[in-house]
Parts: sequence; C-alpha cells; structure tokens
Amino acid sequence: MDLKSRADFSACDKNWLCVRRKNQSSHCSAEWIILPVLIFLISIFPYAGDVVAEQPATGNHHHIEMFADKPHPDYEYLAYRMVRHEVTDRNGLTTDITSRYSAAAIIPGPTIIMDEGDVADITLYNQIPNPERIELHENVSLHVHGVHYDIISDGTLKYINLVQDEGATLVQSYTYRWNAAPGTAGTWPYHDHNMNTHNGAEDKGLFGALIVNPASNIAAINQGGSSQAISLSSIEKDYILYILDDTFVGTEINRQTGQQIPIWTNPTLSAQSGSNIRLHLIALGTNLHQFKLPGYSWPEPGTPNIIEEKAIGPLEKHVVVIQAGSNSSYMDTTFAGKAQNMIGSLNVNP
Amino acid sequence: MKPGVPRSHIKIIMGFTLFNVLLWISSIVLAATHNIHLSAETLPNGQHGYKMLSHTSSDGSTPTYPNEATIPGPTVFVKQGDVLNVTLTNNTPLNVGLSPGSIEATPGETQSFTYTANDVGTLAYYDKDSHLVGLFGALVVDNADGSVDNFIDENGTIVASKRADLDKEFVMFMIGSTFWGAEIVNGTQMPLWTNPTLGAVKDDVVRFHILSLGPGHTWHLHAHRWPDKASTSIIDVKLLNDISDSHSFTIKAGAGVGTGYWQYHCHLFSHMEAGMAGKFHVVAKGEAGNSIAGASPSGSIFLNSSDAPGLVTFEISDEPGQWFRSIRGDALSPITKTKSLEIIPPGSSVHFIMSDTNAVHTITSLLWPSDADDPDHGDHRAIPFNQTKAYKGGGILKLDVPGLYVFTCKIHPYMFGAVIVDDPATSGLDLGESIDIITGINDLPTSSDLATRLLRTFFVATVQENWQDYTSSKPWHPNYPSVDVRISGGAVANLKTVLESRYGQDIKLASLFNPTTPGVGEVWINTQFEKTAGKTKPGTITVLDAATWKIKGKIALPEINMNNPHNMWSNRDQSIIFQTQWFDNKLTFINRKDGRLINNIQIGNTPSHVVTLPTNDDLTVAINGENGVRIIPAGTMVPEPMIMTQLPGQTAAGPHGHWVTPDGKLIVTPNVNTSDIGLYDTTTGGIVARTPAGGVFPAAPHPLAVGVSVDKVYTTNLLDHSMNVSGLDGTLIKTINLIADYDPVSPTGPDTIKDRDGDGLVTVGVLPIQTPVDPTGRVVVTANTGGSITIIDTTLDKVVAMLPCDPGCHGVNFGAKLGGGYYAYVTSKFSNELIVVDVDLNNPANSSIAGRISLVADKSVPADDQIIKLAGTGGQGVYAIPNVYNGWVQNLPDQWKANLTAAQLEPVQ
Repeated sequence: MDLKSRADFSACDKNWLCVRRKNQSSHCSAEWIILPVLIFLISIFPYAGDVVAEQPATGNHHHIEMFADKPHPDYEYLAYRMVRHEVTDRNGLTTDITSRYSAAAIIPGPTIIMDEGDVADITLYNQIPNPERIELHENVSLHVHGVHYDIISDGTLKYINLVQDEGATLVQSYTYRWNAAPGTAGTWPYHDHNMNTHNGAEDKGLFGALIVNPASNIAAINQGGSSQAISLSSIEKDYILYILDDTFVGTEINRQTGQQIPIWTNPTLSAQSGSNIRLHLIALGTNLHQFKLPGYSWPEPGTPNIIEEKAIGPLEKHVVVIQAGSNSSYMDTTFAGKAQNMIGSLNVNP
Repeated sequence: MKPGVPRSHIKIIMGFTLFNVLLWISSIVLAATHNIHLSAETLPNGQHGYKMLSHTSSDGSTPTYPNEATIPGPTVFVKQGDVLNVTLTNNTPLNVGLSPGSIEATPGETQSFTYTANDVGTLAYYDKDSHLVGLFGALVVDNADGSVDNFIDENGTIVASKRADLDKEFVMFMIGSTFWGAEIVNGTQMPLWTNPTLGAVKDDVVRFHILSLGPGHTWHLHAHRWPDKASTSIIDVKLLNDISDSHSFTIKAGAGVGTGYWQYHCHLFSHMEAGMAGKFHVVAKGEAGNSIAGASPSGSIFLNSSDAPGLVTFEISDEPGQWFRSIRGDALSPITKTKSLEIIPPGSSVHFIMSDTNAVHTITSLLWPSDADDPDHGDHRAIPFNQTKAYKGGGILKLDVPGLYVFTCKIHPYMFGAVIVDDPATSGLDLGESIDIITGINDLPTSSDLATRLLRTFFVATVQENWQDYTSSKPWHPNYPSVDVRISGGAVANLKTVLESRYGQDIKLASLFNPTTPGVGEVWINTQFEKTAGKTKPGTITVLDAATWKIKGKIALPEINMNNPHNMWSNRDQSIIFQTQWFDNKLTFINRKDGRLINNIQIGNTPSHVVTLPTNDDLTVAINGENGVRIIPAGTMVPEPMIMTQLPGQTAAGPHGHWVTPDGKLIVTPNVNTSDIGLYDTTTGGIVARTPAGGVFPAAPHPLAVGVSVDKVYTTNLLDHSMNVSGLDGTLIKTINLIADYDPVSPTGPDTIKDRDGDGLVTVGVLPIQTPVDPTGRVVVTANTGGSITIIDTTLDKVVAMLPCDPGCHGVNFGAKLGGGYYAYVTSKFSNELIVVDVDLNNPANSSIAGRISLVADKSVPADDQIIKLAGTGGQGVYAIPNVYNGWVQNLPDQWKANLTAAQLEPVQ
C-alpha cells in the first residue's frame, strides 16, 4: 500500500514539467509558458545592477531565481522550481550552481544552502496557471524563517504587513533579500504565505528548506554517549525530510558535489557504514509528530544532552547528525503516524 | 555565531554558578510569602475569567492588576522558593478549582491552598473543567536573582538578561484556535484579549510567555528568533504540546529586521485557517509602541453595550442539538428560542472553541450575506470561513457586514450555529438582503422559501424541545423566536409569524402501527441522541425484534461513555456488532446476543461507517475526520494501517458512508471533504478512480453516502440535493436532481412544490443522506433530511415515488421480510420512531409505509443504563440482522439462512 502510493506520487512527477522547454506536457497551453518567460527575460537586466550596491563584505552573495509551478494539471500539488542560482564570493568570483538542482519543480522545493554571513536575493515567478482568476493577480510568495529580512521581504500580503502584497503575480515577479546574518545558522523552512488565502498554499507543496551552515563549521554528533564536535566537512550527505500530516517527503544532497535529488515520499535513505549523515527534519501541516530512528541517538541541538526521539510540531525544525552504523527505519510513532504508515528505511551499506 | 561568543559563554556559565549559589541561599533567606486572593467571575458574553482581588507580598511591591476579571487571568509573578497562600472566591454558577492547587469551590464558596514555587518557569494555573472557556492564567516563577531567558541580538550575540531590564512582557495563551493575551509594563497589567496587536519600540527587550491548554500548537513570530530556553539552539517556532505546555523567551524587538507589522501565529495549518494570528507591531524609536486589545468578552454584543469590539463564544459540543452552543445560551434562549444563535453588531467577533467534544470538526460557513465575501469590501479573507480538513481547536473571525451567517461542520453537517450581525441603525434584526450558500447558490433572497426553510431546519435541529415525540398525544409544536427581522427589500417581519404561516404549527403526527407481515431477525438502531444517567455522552443502541416489533433491549455502554453511536455492521456469523462512535475516535465490539461490551479500541478521528468485506470478513472502517479506510483483519481487534483515500500530500478526503462491492473487490467511499466518489482496490489498497461529485451546484455537493447495485454506485450529494449514478469503473452516468419539483427562490406559496419536471409526480428530496440499494439491485431507498423518503427504480434511474418522513430523516438499511421480499428500515434524527417501508421489487413506485414503530422503551425493556432524556431520538445508523445483502447473505451460518427464502438467499438471479 505504501509502495503503491509512493509510486503514484512519483509517477506524476514525470509530467511535472509544464514550463520545461524540452519536455512540454501536452496539458500546457502556450500562453502559460510565453508570459512567464517574457517576465523572466525582462527582469534579468535591471536586476543585477540593483543589488550590487548593497553587496555585503562578510560573505557570499547568492542570486537566485525560482518558479512557483503547478507541476501537473490533474493534481492539486504546487511546487517550487530552481531556475538560476549563482554565487558571488567576497572576491567577486561568480559560480553558477544551477545544475546542482533538479530541473523540475519538486516537493520539497529546492534546498537553498548558504553560509552564515551570506546574503541572498531571490526572485520568484508565479507560473501557476489560474486563467479563471487572473483578474485577482493572485500572489504566491516566499516566507522564510530564521534569517534576517526587512518588512518588504516578509512574503506576506498587505492585509498582514500593512505595506504591500509581497508576492509574485502572473504579471509581476517579486524579489526577496535574505540575510543569513551571524546568529542565524541552522535549518529553516521557507514556504508560500499568500496563495489562495492569506494563509498560503504551503499545504499544497509550496515549501522547501534553507540550510545556513555555521561559520564555526562545526556539527555535533553522539560519540560514546556524549556530544562531540565534528567538522561539517566530515558529513557526506544532507537529507531534507519534511514531515507532512500523512507522509515524509525528502531530498538527498551530496555534500561533495552539492547535487540535489528529489527522493519523494517515505524515501529510503542510504549511507556508507561509518559515514556521517545529517537529517534536517521540518514538520508542516496540522499534526504533531514523534520522530524516532531506532538504534540511533543524537545530540539535542544546542545542549549536551543525547536524545533518541523528538516531538516535532508544524514548522519546527530539528537536525539529527549520526554516524551510519546499522540499518534502521525512521518513523513517526504517533497514532496517526502509525495509521498512515509514516515510516522509511535507512540502509547502511558496508 | 560570532567569534566573540565563547567569552559570553563563560559569562553565562559564571552567571549560572553565581546564580545557583544565590538560589541556594535565597531559598533559605530571601523567599517571600505572597497572599493572593483571586475570584472566578462570569464575563458578559458568558465566558469565565479569574480576577485579582488582592495580592500582598512580604517583599513589598506587587503589580497593578486589572480591576476586572480577564482572560487570561492576572499574571502572578513570584520568585523561586516563594510561598503562595492562595484564596479563591467562586462568583460563578459552576464549580471552579485552581490547579496547581487541588481545591474546588462551589458557587459562592471560598477555598484556600498554599503552594511553594519550587520550579523556575512559566506555568498555567487553571480550572480543570472550564479552562478552555477562560479560567486560566499564568504563574511566572523567576530565578531568585531576577535573570530571565537570554536573547540573541542583531549581531548574533547571545545576551543574558534580567527581569529589571525588560521593557515589557506579553502573556499569550494559545487556546483552541485563538490567542488570549495580556501585557505587563512597569508592573502594570493590561488585558489584551483575543488576537491582539502587540506593540513594541525597536530594540525593546521583550519577554514572551506562551502557554497552551488543550490540543497542541506551534508558536511562530515572524522575523524574530531566540535561544530555545537555556540551549544555544536558535529557533523561531516552538511546539506547545497537547494538554498543557508553556514556553518563555526573550527577544530584542526588530533586531536585524527593523520596524514593521510582524505576524505572529500558530503554525498548525488548520489553526491558521481558523484565524489564529495577530500582529507584533515594532515601531521606530520615539514612537509609542502601544498594544491594541482585540475583541473581548466584555465588548459590544447583543444585550451588552460597549465601545470596545465584542466577542461571542460558541462551545462545540457532542450534546445533541447543541453542537454549536453559545456559552450564554441560557440567557439568550428566552429570546432566541435556541442556544445556537448569537447576535452581534458589525465589527465584533465570533469565537468557536471545541471544548465539549471528543471529535475533530471543521468550522465552515454554510451561508452568509451575499456581500460579506465581496473582494472590494466585506470580509472576503475570512468569508466563507472554512478549513481544509477536520482538526481539534476552534476558530475566530470578525464580522463586519450585517446579515445572517450560519456555520456548520463539514464532517457532521447537521451541526449548526448562527450569528446575526445586526446594524443597530436599522429596525428588526438584519437577515440581510440575500444570502450565498456554500453549494454555489448566490444572491438567494432572504424572503425565499429555501432561506426560511433553512431557518426552520435550524430551529428544529438545534432545539431538543422541538423534536417530534411520537409517544405524546400532543401535536408537534416547534418554538420559533418572536422577533422582528429585516429581510429582502428592507421588509420587516416577525420571524415566528413567517415560519408558522409558511410551514404550519401544531402539526398532528401520524399514528404508530406495526407492519402486518413480520420481518426476519432483529433491527439494530443507533438512537444516537438518547441520554442515559450513567454517562455524559449521548447515544444508545435500540434493538428491535422484527418478529414482534417489540424493543428487545437498550444498549448505552456507560462503562465506556459510548459517544454518539452512529453506524453498525456485523461479522459473518452475526455474533459481533461493530459500532462506530462518530463524535469520538473509537470502534466498539459488542456481543450481539447479550448486548455486552467486548472491546473498545481507538480507530482514528471520527469514524463514521463500518462494513465487512464479503470475501473474508475483514472490517473496513471509514475514518471520516481523516483520510482513509482502516482495515481490521477478521477475527482480530488490531487495526492495520489505513487504505489511504488520496495520494500523499493531497487534501484529506474524509470518507463517510462507504460500501463494499458484493465481490469484495472495491471499497466505494463518498469523500465529503473533497467532494468525490472514491473507488479503492481492497487487495492492493490502490486508488481505482475518484469521480468528482459535481452535482447541480458544483461548489460543494458534499457526497455523504453510497449504495451499490449489481453494476452501479448511487451517491447522495447532501448539500446539492442530488444523486450521482456512476459505474464500477468510476464513470459518471447520470446526476438525478432530487429537487427538480421545488422552487427554492420564490417566497413560499402554493407553487413552491409542484410537478416541474413533467414526470407526473411531485417528489422532493431535500438534503439526502443514506441511500442503500436493495439486495436484488432493483430499488434505491433514500432518506432525505428535509423529511421525505424517495424511491429510485434502478432500471430507469429516476425517482418513482416519495413517502413522508420526519425531520432529520437519516438512516436506511434493508432487512428480510418473512416469506420473501424486503423491508427498508428508515430512521430520523429529530423524532423517535422507525419507519418501515415495504419495498415493491416488481413495481418500485408502489412501495409504501408498512409500519411506524416507537423507539421509546418502557421500563420492562432490559437496558444497561437508565434513560433520562430524549428517549428514542437521534435515529441514524440502522442495521438488520441477518445481513441479507448480496455477497453477504451467502455467507450466513445455517441457522440464519433457515428463515430466508430461496430468492432471499440468492438475491441476484
């Protein structure tokens, strides 16, 4: 049952390519492609000069462009898609890392990785076809947690922030600035805060993770029952695991190459025996969860305590760093978690 | 974090060491004694709150408290080791206690206890029974040295802080789906009531105390972050777990992010949808940074004038009729004749709290004034009010547009609460010019027949005294409020006069009589509203002997406080009855022979119907408040994971009255929450098809129950008054409009109901519910809440007859008639009789009422509890033993087959 559901969910992703030029779905009418592409092209030019003036001296500057998509016309899912991610370092050297991301709109959305001290300018384009309500200029947005931003990068509607609607409409993109200032290291959710109602359509798939790696370059791991500092560079993989009301849904990130792979619902995680992996858990929805990974324990973030389970509520984050030893399964042990088979494997390869 | 941090760490460690030494000394030397006298009071809207009468402390200063009872109650600040002598005077009509003390004061009584504040932290004091309706407050136990939670500044430095350094403190209780706030500035406490705007000046050091009671929450404040208590982990969302929890933290207002209106909210999606949000307003230095209180129980509402915005509160309850019960319903009902109607001026708010229910619900607009959802004005961000899926909590919304608003629950669609927003400048209570209905009917005049028919349904459904009693010789006399209302065209009319002239009064009820031909076996009826002495929750099972038409027994199961028993099925040998508790999360196993409890298991939120697979006797239970059908292998009582009714991440379907095909291959579910008909493969658990319910008004047809014939599925669309006919592959074949002969829009008159579709018949099925197909597949019998039974001939797929039924007509199932053929047993929620329909399989149009049987038991009937109220009412699920449906009848044990004819044993030839 679990596998069947999972197969269905992944299968629909094959058609989730409405705006991909190469692989157009027959369901997409041309207008929904031309209009956003035009906006995209127009907005690139004035955009670069605009932000250079505020280039901070302390860290890297990220230039990111994302789409909010409806990946398949027959399903209610909405998803973010990475279009461009360039990083300019403090010496002015720019690297294009767009190829690290899935070219498709994915759930969870692209994982944005910054270092403490970095700044990102993120432009969002609304690619969600809504011909019946085009007159409403319906907004889709990015609301990020944890990092610094001023009131016009809150990603909320004027109804809430009393300044302006801070989202992308079908005819207007929106640019946010996120400042991963000192003190904001950690894993944070980002999500829509505007679509459909002022509550946003985060529950339809418009969510992703931001990892701000600490300037200290240190993570904590359980070694022999106590918390020990390890270098971040010793971590081979990052896994994003969003905990929805009815499923885990994830992304695998190779920390050597930076490559991100969507691994969908209740995915199987894998690790080389003895290697360190980092799980970034974020809940979203209405249910409360109890996370367990039997056989493993890990430091409770920011404390010397070692824990082996964690209660997680919607939009809380929890980071688990482990050294892969034995096979296990991650799971939500609440009544609803068990009833819905919210469980997946951790396979440890010798 | 900045490189300089280790030094501040050392400071913190040194601070802690010093603090611990001081703490040890303080508990001996510095502990203060507080004499605290609180009272419990009733507020103008009927909620209750605590009030500080006096507070003296041996260490001198005490805060300036509000001079009224507030929600939350006064915040009590003490230091670790302090001794609190607490006195409570109860000025409410309820028994009121005060945890963490174990006292309870009866009305008018004063009680005392002493409490030593041993543990540092913020905790809730509260009454154990009435905390969700206002009896709570915060007790803050600070470190003896005055140190409070560290904050993180704009440079990432974690800064130690003392209470004396704080510019202000906020206490925010997360209750249901509403914030209840208070502000403390320089020792002065101010109530901020519901979802306030919290004000602060940029760089103010502000401590928040977040507390929750009841179902859990996550607290989120935009653009601010803080250390998670003593750890160095920086967070901006914090879980407050179920039952009781708290979290305190300190921030520097606007640090790193600047001024602005920053939203705070609960991050549970359903609670966000239910309005659980407010603003934290950070202003520039030099500005005032004042907070603005939200709608209050002491503000402006009907019978309580005030300049401040008011708040009315509905408790969501499992109590029959009072599913949305105004907490001041006793005071209002002499005027309104119901406890489920509230009246407020424009700009005040309505608040819902699921304080008296074990179920999950939604708070959903059923109808509203037509201009209330106008994008250019009105409250289009809040109206229609709705949440994507059922949940535990509550809701809050401000209403600005005059007129009539009715709220329901999508899962339990006969729960009704109404609010009239009345413009004081006009005469008569404003029902508004026209209403919009969730089904997609827009601009319906309030003078129309449908509008007044819905109002009448509201007054019948929400008032127990308005239900039909077939054991009484008196005519049926529903009470309506005698108040002037303002309707379409600005006309003012007396509501009671209008309803009585349109729908009659003192109506003579039909006489009871037994069918002349006996039935076979037993009929089990969920008299879901019948109240008994041994439990707080309603509902019994009434067991009828079909051979004699006498009641054999009443089963209330007081030992498990059985709550709203809704639907039943049995195992193959007919020895065990499976019973769902629809306002709870339980499935109950009952011994059919003696009516005794076998087991009561948690199955999932709000289980509705249960059906076995004819092939292997496994149980399938529709989890109406969630997103699947739970399977219990035959012979066991241990549920397996669910067959999910939707793909991962999709909206929960909320299946209600499901059925299984006779070959056991497919489960067919009416998905009320997503308005579709689901077909699921019982072997793989996969989705075969999900057919949109569509209907005549496609906005929210609300498919509620299904019946399965040999090759077709019949699904009722409750709110659309229609029936979908679809194939076993999910193909929609036809939609039958059950109100084709009804004119909903015109004022009531002789032509309101007449043969409009030209078929020579006058048939109306308003609000159709259960709709089984007889075992041969020929006839569909549908119970329509509006008070009719409609008969569909499956060879024509059209309505061929209509029979009368009672208000709240609800359940139908078939049982064997002695000597051949079938009876359809029909139940009604708002009466206490069972209607027996003699189904004519050769000519379905000739089907007739064969009997009307009282569901009221006399004292001689064996019962496991004493019936005290609403005798025999609430008829919903009904189930005939033996189960004679095709696919099931073939598996009956021989002793049950003995009473059946050859045709009944093989119904489909």
